[in-house]
Amino acid sequence: MKILEVNNLSLQYTHLNNTKSILKNINFYLNQGETLGIVGESGSGKTLTGLSIASLLDESIFHINNGEILFNNNNLLLQSNESLRKIRGNKISMIFQEPMLSLNPVQTINTQLTEVIKLHITKDEDNIKKIASEMISKTGLEETNKILSSYPHMLSGGQRQRVMIAIALVCSPEILVADEPTTALDVTLQLQILDLLKKFKEKISMSLILISHDLDLIKNYSDRVIIMKDGNILEDGETKKIFKNPINKYTKELIKSNPHNMINFKPSNKILLKTTNLNCSFITNNAFLKKNRKYFQALTDINIELNVGETIGIVGESGSGKTTLAMSILQLLNYEGTIQFDGHNLSKMDNNELRKYRNNFQIVFQDPFSSLSPRLTIFEILSEGLMVYKKLSYKQMISICSKLLNEVGLNESMLNRYPHQFSGGQRQRIAIARAISLKPKLIIMDEPTSALDVIVQKSILELIISLQKKYSLSYIFISHDLKVIKSISHRIYILKDSKIIESNDTHNILDNPKTDYTKSLIKSSFLN
Amino acid sequence: MKVIDRNINVWNKFKSSNRNKFSLYIFSFIFLFSLFAEVISNDKPIVMNIDNQLYYPILFKYSDKTFGGYFETEANYKDNFMTSKISKDKNWAVFPFNPHSYNSINLNNSTPNPARPSIHNYLGTDDRGRDVLARLIYGFRLSVLFAFSLTAIGIIIGIFFGAIQGYFAGKVDLYIQRFIEIWSSMPELYLLIIFSSLFEPSILLLIILLSLFGWMSLSDYVRAEFLKGRNMEYVIAARTMGLSNYQIITRHILPNSMVSVITFLPFRISGAILILTSLDFLGLGVPPDTPSLGELLAQGKENIEAWWLSLSTFIVLVGTLLLLIFIGEGIRESLDTRSS
Repeated sequence: MKILEVNNLSLQYTHLNNTKSILKNINFYLNQGETLGIVGESGSGKTLTGLSIASLLDESIFHINNGEILFNNNNLLLQSNESLRKIRGNKISMIFQEPMLSLNPVQTINTQLTEVIKLHITKDEDNIKKIASEMISKTGLEETNKILSSYPHMLSGGQRQRVMIAIALVCSPEILVADEPTTALDVTLQLQILDLLKKFKEKISMSLILISHDLDLIKNYSDRVIIMKDGNILEDGETKKIFKNPINKYTKELIKSNPHNMINFKPSNKILLKTTNLNCSFITNNAFLKKNRKYFQALTDINIELNVGETIGIVGESGSGKTTLAMSILQLLNYEGTIQFDGHNLSKMDNNELRKYRNNFQIVFQDPFSSLSPRLTIFEILSEGLMVYKKLSYKQMISICSKLLNEVGLNESMLNRYPHQFSGGQRQRIAIARAISLKPKLIIMDEPTSALDVIVQKSILELIISLQKKYSLSYIFISHDLKVIKSISHRIYILKDSKIIESNDTHNILDNPKTDYTKSLIKSSFLN
Repeated sequence: MKVIDRNINVWNKFKSSNRNKFSLYIFSFIFLFSLFAEVISNDKPIVMNIDNQLYYPILFKYSDKTFGGYFETEANYKDNFMTSKISKDKNWAVFPFNPHSYNSINLNNSTPNPARPSIHNYLGTDDRGRDVLARLIYGFRLSVLFAFSLTAIGIIIGIFFGAIQGYFAGKVDLYIQRFIEIWSSMPELYLLIIFSSLFEPSILLLIILLSLFGWMSLSDYVRAEFLKGRNMEYVIAARTMGLSNYQIITRHILPNSMVSVITFLPFRISGAILILTSLDFLGLGVPPDTPSLGELLAQGKENIEAWWLSLSTFIVLVGTLLLLIFIGEGIRESLDTRSS
C-alpha cells in the first residue's frame, strides 16, 4: 500500500534576483513499512526532497511550482498550517545529520522530549514522565534519568543521535525521514544507529526514507532506491536490481566509483620516515602549580615507519589522535620522541634549519574550502612556496604554476581566479598542486576526500596514485574511512585513544583483524 | 597569460555603485578644494598691480613700506591705506573668491558681530567678526587632515599590537593584554585636561595624546582575527611550506583580517573628526586662534540667535561624516572577494 506519493513535484529557489530550479518534476512513492533510499551527490536535491515531504521548507525562498505530495491520499501542499502541525512530528518525523545542531543547547533533553509528548500525545504529567523514560531506554541508552536531566553538550555524538531518534519516534510516526543520520558519527556508531532505526521501523510498522550519499549504507539498509542528480530522478527501483544492473550512465558511474584497489606497484625498501616513541599531550586544565595541571594524552608511544614510494593508512575515529600525529610529523606541535626523516633527525633541527628543510614534507587537508586563502588568486597560492626557496622571475613562476595546474588536471587559464570560483573537487586539486609544488618526498593526506562526493573522490584518489608513481612520493593517508584507506595504502595503522592498536599490510589486516575494534571497523565499513 | 591586477577589480566594483562613486568624487573634490584654501579664501589679493609693478601677496610677504606706508610689518590689504592705493589710477588687485582669511577680522562691518550673511561675508561672521565661510573652509581642512593622521597612526599601532598578540598568542598575548587593560583604565579626558594646561595646546600634542589611547579598540579586533586566522588550514599549509612568520602574517592572515580594520576605517575617521570637534567645543583642543569646527559650534551655542553659525557648521560636519561613511561602506563591499 502506498503511504506517500509524490507527483510531478517542482521546486524553485528564489533569492534576491536569482531563481534556480531545484527539483524538476520528480515522481516517487513510498510503500507502507518499506525503507526507501535516496542517493545523490551534494546539490542533487535529496535533502530538499526530504524537507518538502516534512513540509519544512522555508517558504520565503523556496516555491513549489506544481505537483502534489499525497500522504494517505491527502495533498500536504493544500493543507493549512494548523493541520500540517498535527501531521509534522506526529505522523511524519525527521532526523538530521548533525545532532548537536538539531538539539537546543540551553534546554535539557527532558524538556525537549516532553515538549513533543505534550503536544501530540498526552498532557498528563505522570504519563509524560513514563513515556519519556521508556522512549529513552528503548533507544538503547542506559541511565535514563541521567540522560534526561543532561544538556546536549554533556552527551556524546552517538548519544545525541539516539536522543534525536527518541524525540522523532516518540509519537510513533508513520513516516520517518532520516537525512544523513550517521554522516556526522564515527563509523563504528553508524551501524548501531542504523540497526536501531531498523528495529524501530519493524516495531511500530513505520516507513523510512533514508537520505544518504553513502552507497554501501543504502545498499544494505534500503528496500528500494532513488538515484538523484541535479533535481531529477535518474533511476528508481529495487535496491538489489539497481546495484546489479544499473541502467542509467550516471548510476553506473556512481556504483563503479566505490573505491577499488588502486595500487599496483611496490614501494622501495629504503626507509623515509621513522618515528620512535612519539608522545604528545595537551594541557587541559592549566594551573600555577605543575602537579595540579591536567593533561590530555593525544599520542602515546607511536612508532611508525614509512618507505620511499609507500602509502601508509592511518585509521581512527575522531579524537583518536590522527591529526595530532600529522601535526607532529610536520613539526608544528611540541612532542616527545624522535622523528627520523631521510637520514635527518627532525626533532633536533633548529627553527631556521627546519624552515629550509620544510619543502620535503607537505600536507593536504580535508576541507578544500578552508585550506586555500580566500584572498589570494590560484597563482599567488601556488607560487608562494616557490618564492621561499628560489629566486624566480615572474615568467618562470607563471610557467611553473601552469605546469602544476596541468599536472593535477586543471587548465592554466584558471591561474588568476579566486578559490571560491572553484568546486570542492577542483579546490582539492589545487591543494594537491600546492603540495607538490615544492617537490616533497612525503605528503600527508589528512582526510583529503571526506568532504567530496563519491565520483569526485574516486578521481582525486586516482590523481594521488598517479602522482605517487610519477614522483615516487610517500604518503601518510589519514582517514576514518576504511574503504578509501584500503584502496590506496600498502600498510595500515589502526589508531584508537592515542595508541596504535594494530598495524599490518592492508590485506592482512582486513582478512585477519586481531582486535575487536578493527573487526567492528571492518564490519561497519561494509567490507566483509 | 596575464594575471589580472586585483586592485583593478576592486576599483571596478567600487565604481559600479553610484553612491560610492559620487561620495568619493564629492569628498575628494571638497578636500582638494580645501587644500588650496589660501587661494580660495584669503584677505590678501592673489595678484595685484601697483604702479605698474606686479605683486603676489599670497606667495610673498610685502611690508607696508613697500607700498609707501610707515610700518615694517606686513601690509594689511584691507585697511584704508591699501584699499585707496589699489583703487587709484590704473592699479588693480585680484582678490580670492572669499576675501577673508580664517583669522582676519572684518573691521568695516556696519552691523554688530556676529553679523548676518551679507554680500561682504557670505555666511556671516562670528562673534569676533571673523568670516564664517573662511573658518569653515580652513576648519574642514584641519579636521580632515587631523582625522587622517590620527587614524593612520592608530591603525598602524593597532595592527602591530593586535597582530603580535594574535599570532604569537600564549604568553605574549597574555602580557600585552594585561598591559592594555592597565593602559586603557587611564582616564583619557583628565590626561588631556592636565596636558593642555601643562603644555602649549597644539595639534601635534593632541595627535600624540589621542594616538596613545586610540589604538586599543582596534587591536582587539585585529587580535581576534589573528587568533582565528593562525589556525586556519591555509596558514598551516603555508607554515609547512616554510614561509617565515612575517610572510605568513602579511600574505595570509593580515589580508583576511583587514575586513574588520577597513570596516572600522570610516568610523574611525569620522570618530576622529568628532573627537577634535568636541574637544574644541569644550575648549580643550586646538589653540584659540586655529580655525575649528568645534569652536564654531561653541559660538553657535553661545549666540543661539545667530543661526548661521550653528547651521552652516552642522551641515559641513554631517555632510563630511556621511560622505566618509558612504565611501567606507563602498570600500568594504568591494574588497569582499566572495560577493559577486
